[in-house]
Amino acid sequence: MRRGYDVFMAVLFAATVALMPVALYLIFVNAPEEKVMGAVQKIFYFHVPIAAVTFLSVFVLLAGATGYLWTRRAGWDHLSIASAEVGLVFCTLVLITGPIWAKPAWGVWWTWEAKLTTTLILWLLLAGILLSRAYASAPEQGARVAAVLGVVAALDVPIVYKAVDWWRGNHPIVFGAGKTNPLAPGMLSALLVSMLVFVLLYALLLAARMRLAALEDRLAALEDAAWRSQS
Amino acid sequence: MKSYVFLFWGYLVVWVGLMAYFVVLGRKIASVARRLDSLEARTQGGDPRRTT
Repeated sequence: MRRGYDVFMAVLFAATVALMPVALYLIFVNAPEEKVMGAVQKIFYFHVPIAAVTFLSVFVLLAGATGYLWTRRAGWDHLSIASAEVGLVFCTLVLITGPIWAKPAWGVWWTWEAKLTTTLILWLLLAGILLSRAYASAPEQGARVAAVLGVVAALDVPIVYKAVDWWRGNHPIVFGAGKTNPLAPGMLSALLVSMLVFVLLYALLLAARMRLAALEDRLAALEDAAWRSQS
Repeated sequence: MKSYVFLFWGYLVVWVGLMAYFVVLGRKIASVARRLDSLEARTQGGDPRRTT
């Protein structure tokens, strides 16, 4: 079991490390510079994949939370808590890289338009899930609260995605209805490879966080048994 | 030129952020594994004292 995990992590790590320079070459050398925004547009190749991975993490979190409530198996709970934490890291990076692009493009770091605001709500929900897990009086209660917040976060994801279509705003729409082939070939390949790198990074971090959750559970059980046998 | 400065900071934030999280996670796993090994060794040695 342990050996399988180590091999899995080694393969994931090797694949990520091998693809990272390819993504960097495609982004910084191969992809053409956007005419209006210039070099800062290349933040797009990090910002969009990180946002996509944030969405993925919310759905994985939801699957883990509902799986745990359904089966009460610890593995689902580990998946849920791991995806919430890794998702929070990615969502934080979305909220940092967005303003770094927005300042030169819009002239402001932040504006309370729909896409940005709903993304901030998603960040708050993910933080709320982790807080509810950390401060719940019983693990069962924490898992239930996290599952409910996970459903709300999963409902927020399509709202974030469609926010510009529904409420307009400054945020650019690159993909969507009537936007056939919006990127130059060099831009598209850079985006796709970058997307793959971030998905691999997500899988790597998720597996590591799940391992930590499993070890913490085992440690807590052993400490409890040791304490009982002592008292 | 100014555009490159923003690109640099955006790039730096992403990789430093992810690498920092990766390192923190690795250190936590190592710490919990050490405590677990120590507790298992004590339990098997007939000295089940709570490690805190």
